[in-house]
Amino acid sequence: MTASFGAIQLLVFPGLLYAFVAGFFMEWLQRKINARLQGRIGPPFYQPFFDFVKLLGKKPIPRPPLQGFIMTALPAVSVVATLGAVAILPVLSTGIGFSGDVILLVSLIEVGPLLAVLGGFASRSLWGGLGASREAVMTAAYNLPFLTALIALAWNSDLSIGLLATTAPWHVRLLAMAAILLCLPAKLHLNPFSISSAEQEIYAGATTEYDGPRLALWELAHSFEWVALTGLFALLSVPMVGVADLWRVLIFVGVSLAVVVVLSVAAASTARLKLAQTARWFWLWGFLLALSALGLALAGI
Amino acid sequence: MSKIPLGPFHPALEEPYKIEVTCTGETITDAEITVGFNFRGIEWLAERKNYTQGIALLERVCGICSNVHTMMFCRAVESIGAIEVPERAKYIRVVMAEAERLHSHLLWAGVACNLIGFETLFMTCFSLREQVMDVLEGISGNRVNYAMNRPGGVNRDITDPASVLAAIRTIADVTTKQLIPVLTTDPTVRARCAGVGILTREDAIAYGAVGPMARASGIDIDLRKSAPYEAYDQLSFDVPVRQEGDVFARIVIRALEILESCKLIEQAIEMMPVGPIAGGLFPTVPEGEACVRIEAPRGEVIYYMASNGTDMPARVRVRTPTFANMPTARVMALGQGLSDLALIQASIDPCYSCTDR
Repeated sequence: MTASFGAIQLLVFPGLLYAFVAGFFMEWLQRKINARLQGRIGPPFYQPFFDFVKLLGKKPIPRPPLQGFIMTALPAVSVVATLGAVAILPVLSTGIGFSGDVILLVSLIEVGPLLAVLGGFASRSLWGGLGASREAVMTAAYNLPFLTALIALAWNSDLSIGLLATTAPWHVRLLAMAAILLCLPAKLHLNPFSISSAEQEIYAGATTEYDGPRLALWELAHSFEWVALTGLFALLSVPMVGVADLWRVLIFVGVSLAVVVVLSVAAASTARLKLAQTARWFWLWGFLLALSALGLALAGI
Repeated sequence: MSKIPLGPFHPALEEPYKIEVTCTGETITDAEITVGFNFRGIEWLAERKNYTQGIALLERVCGICSNVHTMMFCRAVESIGAIEVPERAKYIRVVMAEAERLHSHLLWAGVACNLIGFETLFMTCFSLREQVMDVLEGISGNRVNYAMNRPGGVNRDITDPASVLAAIRTIADVTTKQLIPVLTTDPTVRARCAGVGILTREDAIAYGAVGPMARASGIDIDLRKSAPYEAYDQLSFDVPVRQEGDVFARIVIRALEILESCKLIEQAIEMMPVGPIAGGLFPTVPEGEACVRIEAPRGEVIYYMASNGTDMPARVRVRTPTFANMPTARVMALGQGLSDLALIQASIDPCYSCTDR
């Protein structure tokens, strides 16, 4: 039984099938909201999927064998790791959760940005390198509040994702959720923190030299990232004890999409900040929020 | 220590030119500007074409301020031949020049917003610019090269002043209610632009900065006020000046100039006298020389023209405002971050096609 549930979770919901559909849908939603707010019509809902298919069909530029291998392997591993992060989200009551899965989730979520940094340097382009170093600094900036907030939530939960939302008191959760929400635009390369992919400064950043299927893999990993991060936020924000599975799914999807809307509106109404400003922002305000959540959790108030 | 080129082709640039910076980490320690990628030999060509062809040729110096260049060419011919321009034509020239200033400033504001990653505001600016282009098309029949000027007047009359006024009022309204409040109060815009790329008053004077660049560094220069031409002495308007000298001040100056241009167009259309819009046939140009200057959207343009009495000018020299402003990019970039470079170089509102000619 456990094995078949595990397979469903990995391949159907919230894993591959859901992540594939929802990821492209979320990217479309973000683009559509952005367009409507800018007075444009925006793309049809299948556009991100078509973009992906078109990239897959292109013939990549020939590269030296080792570099070609690395530049294919890095995005591929990124796809797999991010998919893993989506799949271990315990949405269904039959979900496979275990004590300590928070640690697994965090490490799987962090694999993506880490590989993007490696990928940028591996492409041996000036712009790729600049994008990679920016990505690295960004990771250091937003992960401090992000991880602190998660620790605050996980303090009494036996490090299990399924228990995070239910065990932490509401004020700890509120502060921690605010800190996490603050980090999401940076993790998803959205304004005002779209620094590592600032096209007017460094072209596409780390992925500048990637083309065709290799770029398609990065795009796919990115759309999985959308699902994983908004999904994590959805699970943390609504305690689902004794809720039927259908409701669990609806709440999970609904809150995920609501987060996409919030992030899109914030992105459309801001300019891009600079790297130093972003780091200061996260280490000061983001960390302050997360730290107060942690303080409250430790004090047991 | 690394050398990073911005250009000749780069998403942050409107046209090819190159600014290569030396960086320590992300801090700029030196900058070198290379131009000449758009050289078309227009001055050389102008000496080999007759005056009528010359107007069409000089119109193609710039894709944004094309009207300025035909106006300058015609003013130089008028100056050599002592040709009188009818009053109504003067007002039409003012309307065209100010509509073009609107077009140029809105385009620049859009580009600046794009460079700081503010796409929504970029779209707002460009939708306003679209309306200005509609006005220009309504008057001249063209969206880019208007072909409005001729020695001794203009080629087309403004036949539907009501629609021009309506469009200009909409632009002024949206600028006052949306564009300026967002540009001046949005915290992310301030964070990106305030205190960035400072050009001190002393440096601005030393490098001979002109136009909005100089006015944002506390120098009150505007040829429309100090050496009025066409009908500017009949119209009332303010010249905005800021003391800060940073990118933010340049944004504010240009935003305020948009409003002043709207004011000027409204006045010009309302005060326009009835009468002819041009003299008779194309005049013969006697031997002589002239040096004329006007305030283009980017600053002072200077034309020198020499005539030897034939139907072709002996020499046409074009000095565009970007040529004067260009060297300031280096001073402004030194000590700044790499992420500010695109914005700093753009804050000049550079037009390298004009500069290279």
